[in-house]
Amino acid sequence: MTAAPAPAAAPPLPEPRRSRRRGRRERSGVSAATRRQQARLGVLLVAPAVVLMAVFLVFPVLNAVYYVFVDFDGLDTTPPWVGLANFTELAQDRQMWAAAWNNVIWIVLGTAGPLLLGTGLALLLWGVRRGSTFYRVVFFLPYVLPQVAVGVVWGWIYAPTRGWLNRGLEAVGLGGVTRGWLGDPDTALFAVLGTAIWTATGFVFVIVLSALRNVATELVDAAMLDGANYLQRLRYVVMPQIMPVFLMVTALTLIGGFAVFDIVFVMTGGGPANATEVLGTYAYSNAFQLSRISYGTTLALVVTALAVPVAVWLNRLQRRASGEGLGA
Amino acid sequence: MSRRGRAYAPGRPGIGRHLALALLALVTLFPVVLVVSTTLKSAQDVRANPFGLFSSFSLENLDTAWTVGDFDSYLLNSILLSVPSTVIVVVLSTMAGYAFARLPFPGRTVAFYLVVFGLLVPFFAYMVPLYFQMRSMGLLDSLIGVNLVLASTQLSFGTWFMRAFFSDLPTELEQAGRMDGASEWQLFLRVMVPLVTSGMGALAVFTFLQQWNNFLVPLLYMPGGGYRPLTLGLYLFIGGRSVDIGPLAAGTLITILPVVVLYVVLQRQVTQGFLSGAVKG
Repeated sequence: MTAAPAPAAAPPLPEPRRSRRRGRRERSGVSAATRRQQARLGVLLVAPAVVLMAVFLVFPVLNAVYYVFVDFDGLDTTPPWVGLANFTELAQDRQMWAAAWNNVIWIVLGTAGPLLLGTGLALLLWGVRRGSTFYRVVFFLPYVLPQVAVGVVWGWIYAPTRGWLNRGLEAVGLGGVTRGWLGDPDTALFAVLGTAIWTATGFVFVIVLSALRNVATELVDAAMLDGANYLQRLRYVVMPQIMPVFLMVTALTLIGGFAVFDIVFVMTGGGPANATEVLGTYAYSNAFQLSRISYGTTLALVVTALAVPVAVWLNRLQRRASGEGLGA
Repeated sequence: MSRRGRAYAPGRPGIGRHLALALLALVTLFPVVLVVSTTLKSAQDVRANPFGLFSSFSLENLDTAWTVGDFDSYLLNSILLSVPSTVIVVVLSTMAGYAFARLPFPGRTVAFYLVVFGLLVPFFAYMVPLYFQMRSMGLLDSLIGVNLVLASTQLSFGTWFMRAFFSDLPTELEQAGRMDGASEWQLFLRVMVPLVTSGMGALAVFTFLQQWNNFLVPLLYMPGGGYRPLTLGLYLFIGGRSVDIGPLAAGTLITILPVVVLYVVLQRQVTQGFLSGAVKG
């Protein structure tokens, strides 16, 4: 979930199958009057949620699809139809490709970093009794903080003069590499990524730790008796058991990487010299700063569409995991 | 679970492991410590030695942020935007979750997919058209409008979350209630809802944090700045470029303090919310 603070990114598409079965059973044992009452109450209870979602979700989504095929400037009530022009422009837009490349870097490092660190932390804490609640609270904390606040503090850490990172580097004799980390186009993207990894690690950590609790100990014991060392036990006994959850958290972090916005927007706004521009910030600036509303919407929809295959994969993983009784 | 852990790493976890954990915890907490320390320094000390830890003590930064920096009204606005939207989410999710889990009614499947559609579509995808929709509805810069949008971003998850709780309740309860002559409405309100209060609590805490932390929704739909919440106020403060680090740190502290307190006190509920979003099927 690198950066995007909407953490419940993609819970699985629930299946109404189970409740329908229950409905049928009820129908057989329940009077017609009760059934009428139930239907009336059901409609009544669902109505407010349906209305809210129709107005603030479904309608704007349909509108987004419409915007993509017209050229809307924000004022024109009947914007001209342009067909696929927004897409052809997108394909030829160099700045878009540069932003997309940054997204690729972001997705790779922003997924690998938290996965390695979070899993490492979870393994380190696994089996520790004293202070385990404290550590869990501490390691997860960065993930619940507002991204704006996180951006502010890390801005100080990366500050060119007397920032903590530069100070630390000077202290260990690396004074030569100090710089304004967010102001230098060569390092800005990685500096923001570092911050994002700091926040996302806690998320991976908590999920992997909860999975470790379900690991069958007899197998680990048996492997130990057979003389397997730590790494062998990890590779052949522990990892296969937590794999479903591990893949799920991978997918979630990947999806977050496509839609990254807040942390980049707050820390660098896409600069310096577009060095940290990602598709999210590029879509935002097109729509809201350049008044290229249709183009910005197209970008936002494309970002969403790119994440769909991962989301489908995630959904399949989640279903399989819940089928096997691997819960949170 | 600690027994299991020991099987993996036999004997007591060594001193080395505790040392490593303590060190990592320190590294993780460092940015937060930095905020607290910078806030509590005197303004003069911040200018001379901006990032030194706990080198002086004063509340003037908090005072400046509060009075000059408008963080008092930002705090109020954050409450005005997080509390109502959280209440809407919890109430509507409980109602809809119950109906989807236990009540047969015409159009249920369609309504269900409509409500949980939001789990598939990120806010980002439709934020632009929603801006113009809000403008034509006259809801930009209004508490009602932004609260409704905030609620809609969490309602899909909330409904799906509450539905799972209601699905787990035994059917015998309804039958017993009906025998006693309870109406369907009474059954819902008096029998079922009291049994899922723990779920409602977890949802409330989780949703509140999301709304409190939300940045994009107020950024887009509060363009006039009538009800700027803390996240937006903080962002504008950085944009001010005169970058007065002391009050900025104080503003950051005011923004994160409620989150940290709520999280530390109710960490189980918070983690449950985040986990169920990710792992439960």
